[in-house]
Parts: sequence; structure tokens; C-alpha cells
Amino acid sequence: MRRLKSFGVLIGTVGLLAGAAACGTSTSGGSSSGPSGVLTLSDESGALWTCGFNPFNPNVSYLDFGPVYEPLMFVDTLQNGKISPWLATSYAWSNGNKTVTFTIRSGVKWSDGKPFSAADVVYTFNLLKKYPALDLNAVWSVLSSVTQKGSDQVVMNFKTAAVPYFYYIADQVPIVPEHIWSAIKNPVTYNDADPIGTGAYTVKCKPEQITFMANKHYWQPGEPKLAEVLEPAFTSNDPANTELATGQAQWGAQYIPDIKTFYSAKSSSNHYWFPPIANVSIFINLKNSILSNVAVREAMAYAIDRTNVSNVGESGYEPASNQTGIVTPTFSAWEDTSEAAQYNYSYDPTKAEQILTAAGFKKNSSGIFVSPSGKPLSFSILNNGGYSDWVASMQVIQTDLKAVGIQVTPDNLSGTSYDDALLDGNYQLAYGDETGGPTPYYEMRQWLYSANTAPIGQQASSNFERYSNPATDKLINEYGQTTSTAMQHSIVDQLEEVILKDVPVIPVTEEVDWYQYSTSSFTGWATPSDAYAQPAAYQTPDLGIMMLHIAPKK
Amino acid sequence: MAMIFEAAAAQTAGQLPGATEPGSGGNAGQAIGRMWKAIRSNGKALTGSVLLALFVLLALFPWAIAKDNPSAEIYKPTLGPSTAHLFGTTSYGQDIFAQAVWGTRETLIIAVVSGVLSTILSVIMGLAAGYLGGAWDSVLNFITDVLLVVPTFPLLIIIVAYLPKVGVPGLIAVLVITGYSYGARQLRAQTLSVRSRDYLEAARVRGERRFYVIMVEIIPSMTSLIVATFLGTAVYNVLAAAGLQFLGFGDPSSVSWGTMLYWAENNEALQTGQYLWAIVPGALIALLGAAFVLINYAFDEISNPALARVPITRTRQLNPILRRLGANRSG
Amino acid sequence: MRYLLRRAVFFVLTLWACITLNFLLPRLMPGNPAIALLAKFHGRLNPAALKAIEIALGVNVHQSLVSQYGAYLHNLATGNLGVSITFFPDSVSSVIRGAILYTLGLVGVTTIIAFIVGTLIGIIGAWRRGGWLDSLLPPIFVIFTAIPPFWVGMLLILVFGIQLHWFPYDFAYDPTLTPSLTLPFIGNVIEHSILPAIALLVTSIGGWILTMRNTMITTLADDYVKMARAKGLPSRRIMLDYAARNAILPNLSGFAMSIGFVVSGAVLVEYVFNYNGLGYLLVQALDSEDYPLMQALFLLITVAVLIAILLADIVTVVLDPRTRAAR
Repeated sequence: MRRLKSFGVLIGTVGLLAGAAACGTSTSGGSSSGPSGVLTLSDESGALWTCGFNPFNPNVSYLDFGPVYEPLMFVDTLQNGKISPWLATSYAWSNGNKTVTFTIRSGVKWSDGKPFSAADVVYTFNLLKKYPALDLNAVWSVLSSVTQKGSDQVVMNFKTAAVPYFYYIADQVPIVPEHIWSAIKNPVTYNDADPIGTGAYTVKCKPEQITFMANKHYWQPGEPKLAEVLEPAFTSNDPANTELATGQAQWGAQYIPDIKTFYSAKSSSNHYWFPPIANVSIFINLKNSILSNVAVREAMAYAIDRTNVSNVGESGYEPASNQTGIVTPTFSAWEDTSEAAQYNYSYDPTKAEQILTAAGFKKNSSGIFVSPSGKPLSFSILNNGGYSDWVASMQVIQTDLKAVGIQVTPDNLSGTSYDDALLDGNYQLAYGDETGGPTPYYEMRQWLYSANTAPIGQQASSNFERYSNPATDKLINEYGQTTSTAMQHSIVDQLEEVILKDVPVIPVTEEVDWYQYSTSSFTGWATPSDAYAQPAAYQTPDLGIMMLHIAPKK
Repeated sequence: MAMIFEAAAAQTAGQLPGATEPGSGGNAGQAIGRMWKAIRSNGKALTGSVLLALFVLLALFPWAIAKDNPSAEIYKPTLGPSTAHLFGTTSYGQDIFAQAVWGTRETLIIAVVSGVLSTILSVIMGLAAGYLGGAWDSVLNFITDVLLVVPTFPLLIIIVAYLPKVGVPGLIAVLVITGYSYGARQLRAQTLSVRSRDYLEAARVRGERRFYVIMVEIIPSMTSLIVATFLGTAVYNVLAAAGLQFLGFGDPSSVSWGTMLYWAENNEALQTGQYLWAIVPGALIALLGAAFVLINYAFDEISNPALARVPITRTRQLNPILRRLGANRSG
Repeated sequence: MRYLLRRAVFFVLTLWACITLNFLLPRLMPGNPAIALLAKFHGRLNPAALKAIEIALGVNVHQSLVSQYGAYLHNLATGNLGVSITFFPDSVSSVIRGAILYTLGLVGVTTIIAFIVGTLIGIIGAWRRGGWLDSLLPPIFVIFTAIPPFWVGMLLILVFGIQLHWFPYDFAYDPTLTPSLTLPFIGNVIEHSILPAIALLVTSIGGWILTMRNTMITTLADDYVKMARAKGLPSRRIMLDYAARNAILPNLSGFAMSIGFVVSGAVLVEYVFNYNGLGYLLVQALDSEDYPLMQALFLLITVAVLIAILLADIVTVVLDPRTRAAR
């Protein structure tokens, strides 16, 4: 019922976008004035803080993974997966891309003053191996060993080449101190109320507010620039939005209804930006006898007015998707525009009806198309009843499809039942999303890789529509083995063609990061022209990068 | 809270033998006739009946009043009231007036169907326990008592939490199960007090079957209590259903007053100045509930002469005994 | 005494029934609490991690129903209510501890005020039948019982909170303050509870008025009241010492029953005001499908009502000699 905050807690697989190499190592101005300024962050979570900071607990890791705990490298989604050094200064692939060696930075200290070293990195990864509950991104499904080499190198061996896992390994694993965690009895239930990390901030907490304070042992000179970042607890959207509008809070991760009236209009320094990251799509159960006919799927793709869905169902906050599956403008560099133009999946209800008629479908007396064998195009569409914006979008989709003679009836289920049905394939059509990643490959792999699917009745991990094609699998595997950007682009182009031609899913709107910021007292914000990190305050570890760039105005 | 009515009705009905003694064999028809006449002459009941009739009309013929499709997201969103949109539009561009009118149907269906089913269940459980006695009574009564003390809304929440999806039938089912207990208790008490009456002994001696006795003798004598049960349950069900829908259960894409409140809350209608979106459905729920309550309230006075309204006269300081006699006459 | 014994037995039996219901419900219903974990950590959790967390949370353990029941009872007895999914890894009991006082305060105070004021109005109304008090107040408040308390709350928020800024309408206290037993903090809590209390009061008082009034009227017809009047005792004395005292007692057993209603109403009122009591927690738990928390809350609420009923029964027995002469 609450506004979709899954983004908020969408840690894990959506890696951290690290970018901002410039941010990482520069010393702006080099003044000896030290950190100053107090930034207030408004991120409503609906409850008081539990004051636990275990970075492996998805409930709370979005709070401290970034500012307190840090990863090896930073991968910036908004700059096409640009990689920047972090706790590791460099990396190198070898052994046919089955080994990656990280050189660990020296001179880094934990916030309790003890020295950080490669041993901590090795310890962290082996901790994940020992306690699979901590291995949120299943890195050990591809790793075979993590060992230290020399004094400052970590060697990771893979079972098979899986280059895309670099993102999960280097960007999505918080490095924890061996000298603290080796004494913890059960790291899975460990509360970690006083986290010791390498990050720019230490943290102090009471249920009503989290306070990040500048870490005096931080390894980047001149960082952080802020003395304190306050994160009050909000139990509902309204007070959180009010604080943003009035300037009491300067950084927001909020869903604000009618944002122009209730936020932008309140002050000329109030700005917002919603960068899109992944798609919300219609999953089509390809095992269904009627839906396995590609003409039906094509017709649906032409029949939906994505812009209208975006405007009405998502208040215009989430831009319309396109049938290539590439999220624009974030990943526009990957889009094969000529291919897309060839198919031209724009809103074209006439074309939709033409396709159906050409395939032998006829309209019956109620205006619904019927297949040559007499089966009507009437389906139920599974939807998550708890996401009010998805329910609202579904109504527009329903109207659009009805106009071309396809009847869909929404089946709004609660969260667990929705997931149950979706994963098991017990649906005809479904509205849902994937988590995506720093390049389009991640979402496409989730959609198309046959290893991610399962027979109807068993749980598929992400390929819910049951798409399976050996040629596509081969492409996906090839991508996993290469580090050449040219190769990657070529493969993604071919994957786009798969989505355009086979229409296994119909992307409708693009999920976005919620982000508001005020320029009256602070500078260094992420903007479309300077997208050095994902700006959402719940995005790990990007929020840490943000908290290094933001500085008080002189 | 409306259950208090049944408690009051049963309390007083039980204490005044004349009120429910139907003579030799109950006559439901006579009772209903008396009720109808009494409603007509009682201002509160009349108001309630008129309101209810209005809502029933809205539920039966919504298209006559609201031309728009309530779910269509085709208008400009967040409009204020105007001649085109009497209550304005929602954040999704739907006409609020159309939603309010069309929503009557689902709300009324829930109220009436669950009210009737719940009353039937109350009658069965209450009468069976009261009349059969013995082990039956202990077991049935225990079940009823447990459901009586368990706070209903939390129980409703727990049940719907585990159901994969809660549509109108599901809502009705859980409402009936959790709401029948109060009526059952009153009916059982009434049955117990009536069981030993002479005319029932006579029927037993005559050799009538138990089923006959129950259907023909006992139930008609409790008509007023049964109607009171229905009215009280209907109010409870309207509020409970609205509450559940407000939380997001019961298919958010359907049109009813409760789901309107859900969407209004989700879009922070109050905070964004879209007051009507939040106020109108709640006001309608209150009016429907009030209709039932008014009828029930006056019902109370009808079935129990002692509670009948006393006209205000300047002779208020008169001998209280005379006053009592006066009340009896006008009741 | 026999009456009390019977009530005590009933209490124990009902308690057992509720505990068992609480145990059976998740196991009877379709859906799988383990999937709730998967949903919560939507796709971010690989199957091995999920399995490990399940074990850590004690979910989806493969035991026979009977042994699960035994373990459940044992956990209850030792106060182990499980670990919350929403507030993982906080335990359910610690989460509840933070909220229980606020609900106790809100519901308790509201019920008592409603009882006192409603009963008084009922008494006076019955005494002065046909007077303005009787014609106006009871019908108005009785109609109010048909209004959804959460909607009343929304109206109060709109008028007194948003428009007039007279009262705060969000949360149980100002989140910038730290809870402490100091006067300013307590004052702040009271300030935040005014609007929710009004919403609950206004919609529950009607029931009290009506029952009290009706019982009073019937009592007034009794012979001993006529006798008192014939003896020439002052009006007020008859009203309070004779009629009201006897009329209140049936009301008292209704008191306990109505706590169930007030608690039900409080759930939604707390939700509307984001008032972090048990009701608000219940809705939150519902939202995130936090079954351990949900079940613990339901059990707690039921037990509290049961205890209140038992207490009311005890008080009735103490005050009313008629019940002591058991049936």
C-alpha cells in the first residue's frame, strides 16, 4: 500500500555505481578547513530506525553500505558501467578471464584506527562462503577460491568465466574488518550497532535519527567535505516531503505526488531528477498455447500507449520504455536504433489489429479477437496489488488492449502470492520488473537466460516468461567470457533483436531512482550532466559516493 | 459498537414479558406488519428508511445518475469540483462523482449479503445452542464466545493477510465468520428464556417435531431481535469492509467507497488539497451506516414500549408515576 | 464464587483456543511464510542464502505438526516470540515493547473516558426522559457509532491539523525528542494523542449512552425505585444511589466486550495518524508480510482483551451480590 519503495530497498544486485574517479582522489581546494556543514537527508522508511547496521542485512544495508563500509571498486550505472578504483587500486583479468587479481590500496585504516589490508578482503569473501545467508548476490556460485597473494593482492578464481559478476564482486560486497567479525558468533543475525568500516563516515544512531559523522581516519585526503549527515526517521511520506519542500532537508529519496506543485514550486533551489534504471514489463507466459503465437505478442506491443501509461499511472515520473528493452536515456549508447526503427514498435493500434487479422484472427460479437481455432484473446494479467502505481498503470494498459480487441482482466494479488504465482509461472500475463544492473546485459540476462527459468510449477529465478533459446543462451555465455566492449555491444545488439523479434516481454515504463536536492546551501549534486553516481540515497554504495561529492557552499 | 442495539433489545425484551409474548404461536406476518406501521410513524426510522432506499436506488441504477465510467482514467487529473465533475477528479483522471455513485453497489452488496448470511448463521448457532441445550449448547456457545471476545478487526487482518487475494466473496466470507457471534449470543439468550414457555410445552406435548417448533413457533417470536441483528451486523460489516479495503485488501482495481479511500490515502489526497476525494467516500459510508442505525434505533423503541419516546410536555414535574402511565399509552 | 470459577475456566479455555488458532492459521492458509522472505528480498537473495535465513528465522522447518505445536507453546511460555522480518534482526518482543505503551495509553484512556462520560449522559438522559439531553445527545452519538473512526480521524487531521495547525497529527511524539519520563516529553505525547483519542471517543461513546440509558429506563420501572420516590427521597439521590448503581452493572460486562471494539477501531485510527502503537505495527507487519510480528501482535491484543474481560467479571462479582448467588 505504501508507495513503491522497493527501489529504496533495492540493494543487492543493482550494483553500486561508482564512477567519479575525479571525486575519489581529488582534494578540492586543498584547504585545511576540514569538513563542515550539516546535510539532512529525507528518506522515509515508514518506521523508526532499528539502529542495526549489518551490511549484509538487506533491511538496513542501504543505510551504511557506502558511507561506512566500502567495496573494492565502484561501477557507475549512469555512465554505462564505468569502473573506478576504490579499496582496490587496480584489477586485471587473466587465465582466459577466469581469474581476476585485485591490487589492494595501502594506507587505509578502519574507523577504529587499525590498519586495513588485503587480509580483510580475503576474510570478507570467505565469510560469505562460510555463511551463504550473507552471500546476497551468490558470488560463490561462480567463484572457486579467493586467496591473498603477497602483501597487497587478492586473487579470485572462477569456476567458469563470468565477467559480468565483476560488478557483484567488486561493487556489491562490503568489506568488513576481520578483527571484529571473526569474533562474532552469528554474523547473519549480528546487529552491528557500532559499525567499524573504512568509509568516510562513522555512525551514531537513535531510533528517531541516524547521524553520520566525518571519519577522521578516512583514507581520502580532504574527504568527506561534510561534517555531519542527518537522516531522521519518518513514519509517513507527508512529513518527509514537507521537510524537503521547506528546505529542512536538502537531499531527498522520496516519492512526492504532484512534485511540481508541492516541491519545485516552493523554492527555486529545489530540483529533482529521476534517472531510469530498469524496466517494468509485461511478462508473457510463453508456454500458453495462445500466447505462444508471436502475432498476439506483437499486437500487444503495438497496442499499448506507453507514454499514456507513464503519464497516468506513474504521474509522468517513469518514462515510457521501448521494445528493445534498453533503458533510455541511461543506456542510450547501447541502443541499436536502426534495428528498433526497422520494427518501429510505437503506439499503433491500427497496426496491432492488422497483425492479428493477417494471422487469421477474427473479431467476435463482443469485439474481442478470436483465434482460428475459436479461442478468444481473453487473458488474466497478474499484478502486485500492493503497488498502487502498478495497479493504476494496469488500468490504462487494460483500456489500450481492449481498444484493439484483446481483453485482459487484472488479478491483483498481495506480495507473497504475487511472487509465488510469478515465479511458478502460474499466470497468463504478468506485470513485473527485474532488478537490472549497470549495463543492459544484466536485465536481458535475467529475462532471456534459460538457466534463470524453470518448468511451470517450479520457481524460476528471473526468467518468468519461460523463454528458452539455445542461440540466445550462447550469446549470453559469450558475453560472460569477454572483456571487450566491442564484443559486448555486438552481443547486446543481437539480444535486442531477440526482444524485438520474439517479444518475450513487453517493457512498458522505466523504473527510476527517486531523487530531490536543494542547491541553496550545498553543491556537488549528481545531475544529468554529471552523473557520477546513482543519486538515490538508498542505492548502495552510490550513496557513499554522493556523500563524498556533496559539499557546503562557501 | 452497533451491537449495543441488540444487547439493548434483548435486555429489555427479555425483561418485559409482554413485549415478545406472541400469544399462542408466533406470527411473523403480524410482527412485520406491526414493525412497518411503527416505522412509518417514527421519525428516526423513517429518515433511516428513506436514506437506505436512496442508496438502494443508487446501487440498482447507477447509470441513471452518473454517466461516466468510474474507472476510466480519461480526464485531466486533480481537478476541483465543477459542473462537469461534481466532486472533481482523482490523481489518475477519474471522475470522483461517478466513483461514488457506482461504488454504492459493491458497498451495499457487501453490507446486505454479509448481513443476511451473518444473521442466518447467528440464528442457526444461537437457536441451536439455546434450544438443543446440553453438549450442543456448551460446544456451540463456546465457539461463539471465543469469536465474541477476540477483537474482530485484528482477526480480520490476520485472516486476509494469509489469503492470496481477497475479492468481494472472500470479504463477505470472513466478515460473516467473524461477525455472527454477537447476534448468536443474543438469540441464544432469548431462546433460553423462551424455551420454557407454556405454548412451546404445548407444542411438544402435541408431538410436534423439534424442527417445526423452531421454525414455526420460536423464530417468529424473535422477529424483532432477528431484524435488529441484521441491522447491527450490516453496520458492522460496512465499517469492517471499508476498513479492510482502506488498507488495500479487496482488489484495489474495483470500485467501492472503501477502495476510493485507499487510493485517496495512497495519493496523499488530504495533504495535496484533494479533500473531496477523501471526504466523499467516508461521508457516504457514514450515511449508509447512519441509515441502518436510525432504523435500528427506532426499532429499539418500537419493540420495547418502555423506551418509546415521551413527548416533551410542560407537565414534566408531574407525578412520575403518571408520567410512566402516559408513556405506556403512546408507545 | 461458582460464577467466578466458571469465568476463570472460560478464560483459560478461550486463551488456549486463541493460542491454537494463532498457531493453526498460518499453517492452514494458502501461501508460504518463506515466500514472504523471498518477496521481501525480491530477487536479491539467492536460494542458498534464503535457505540459511529461513533456518535462522525458524521458518519452514520440517517437523511434524504436533512437535511444531509443542515448540510453539514452549516458545510462548518462555517469551520467545520470534524474529521480525521487517525489523530483522530485532526480535518481535523488542519491537512490541517499543509500541505497547502508546496503545495502552490511547486505548485505555479513551475507553475509560468514553465509559464515564457515556454512562453519565445515559443516566441523566434516562432520568430526564424527553428532555433536550435525551432527545439530542443519544441519537447523535449513536449515529456517530456508524461512522468509520478512521474517517473521523482523517477529518480531524484535515481541520485541526492541516488547516488550523492546532494539534499535531503525525506519530505518537515529536521524532526529534528522545523518549524519557520527563514532563515535557509526556506532555508532547499527550498532545499527539489528542486527535486520535477524539476520533475513537466520538465513535464509541454512543454505545455506552444507549445501553446505559436503556438499562436505566428499565431499572427506573422497578418497584424499589417507585418505593424510593414514594418515600420522598431527593431526585438526585434516587438517580445515582439507587437506579444508576444497579443499572451500571450490566454495563460493566459490556465494558470488557467493548474493549474489543475499541481496539479494532484503534488499529485504523493509529494507522491514519501514524501513531506508533500496536495497531500501527500490525498494519506495518501486514504490509511487509511479517508473519512472526503479525501473529505476536494478534495474540497480544487478544490476551489483553481476555484479561480485561476477566477483570471486569471479577469486579462485577465483587460489586453485584446477585451474581454471587450463582445460577
